[in-house]
Amino acid sequence: MEYKADRCGYCAACVAVCPHEILKQDENEIIIIEGCDDCGKCTIVCPLGALNQEEDYL
Amino acid sequence: MKYDVIVVGGRIGGSVSSLIASQNDLDVLMIEKRQEIGTPVQCAGGTTYSTFKTLDMKPKKKFICSEIKGAMAHAPDGREINIFEYGLMVDNLNIESPSKGYVLDRKIFDKHLAIQSAKAGTDIMVKTTAKDLIIKDGRVCGVVAKHLGKTMEIHADIVIAADGVESNIARLAGLENPKKPKDIGSCAQFELVGLDVDPQWLHFYFGREIAPGGYLWIFPKGEDSANLGLGVRSSKNTAYHYLKKFTANLDATPVELNIGGVPLSGPIGKTFTDGLMVVGDAAGQVDPITGGGIHIVTSCAKIAGEVAAEAIKMEDTSAKTLQRYDVLWRDKFEDGLKTSLKYRRAADKLSDKDMNALAEYLVTNHSEKFSKLGAVKFLGKHPHLLKLIKEFL
Repeated sequence: MEYKADRCGYCAACVAVCPHEILKQDENEIIIIEGCDDCGKCTIVCPLGALNQEEDYL
Repeated sequence: MKYDVIVVGGRIGGSVSSLIASQNDLDVLMIEKRQEIGTPVQCAGGTTYSTFKTLDMKPKKKFICSEIKGAMAHAPDGREINIFEYGLMVDNLNIESPSKGYVLDRKIFDKHLAIQSAKAGTDIMVKTTAKDLIIKDGRVCGVVAKHLGKTMEIHADIVIAADGVESNIARLAGLENPKKPKDIGSCAQFELVGLDVDPQWLHFYFGREIAPGGYLWIFPKGEDSANLGLGVRSSKNTAYHYLKKFTANLDATPVELNIGGVPLSGPIGKTFTDGLMVVGDAAGQVDPITGGGIHIVTSCAKIAGEVAAEAIKMEDTSAKTLQRYDVLWRDKFEDGLKTSLKYRRAADKLSDKDMNALAEYLVTNHSEKFSKLGAVKFLGKHPHLLKLIKEFL
């Protein structure tokens, strides 16, 4: 999973759906712990496309 | 450090529960991961009069942006329906009609609540994240917190988890699992300046091209600005994509962008365990149709604060005692939230064509007060809607 910090709004919607619980939120940071299998669930809920979205999604 | 109660999260659920606990003479600490309470905003700000009744608080000018008198729904084909006039909102669900009430400035309102809580005696730590729970012999007895790089253990007889949609604390306690993407409303909102809207009316827009799996809202913030946002579910494009698309041709400019995930799956199965209660978005105390929850969370958080006070006075913070919180809040809201979820699941199956047909029916038949004959004729023209209506009933 590619995380684009400059497109992240730190809302933690991705954290709520990560089935492996490897996404964690700090104050202004989403931390990805090892173990991602690219299931894509975080991509679906991210409002800003910070997680592996194509540029044209904006 | 040792407190009677630690509240994790300083938005409405956290501030109200800490306020009530402090008013009942408990030693309370509230921790908030952000450096400023109330920011960033993750809400459109609409609430009903009952929020202030619950808080026994007068609505103040400083955080009331608008008083709402009505709401207009816009079908995919542009047909307009006056929601209040049609009584379409969920009057039978113990969820107040969102078409009357206030639009709040959440930054100011949230901070106001935190200030009230602090004045009642709550200690507040900002820029402090709860990293873990302290659990001994199966009972929660504090949190491991991090503040400016320093990790500390803070002990308490009760932890109240008001940590939002990610529900991290409830997960650490084994009360919640990750959610499915279809149960999260992915939301993006602009505060727009220059939008020409009636400051006393809400607007809701529906349609697959506008907000697939959700809806778009316009909540006026006085004469000069409005929150225009939308929530989508399982959509091909991002919420921000749809927001940009809708606002592209509007003669208005944003002064703020808010984003967030809203839990739309109804309440979690259990909101208590030994030494822990869960409130707010973390507990799923949000209406699955509207995504609104300020008045629900306010009431639930108040109950959590009261039950915490009872438990500390009884010197018994076991699950058996804290279950009272779960029983009391469910008694008030669970039926409504579950019915709302059922309605949402049925509404998920409506196509734009179905929504247009329903809107046409409602507008056309308004003067006839929904005659049985009119309904039969309508369903005869749209037989697949009959199955959906049976699900509603």
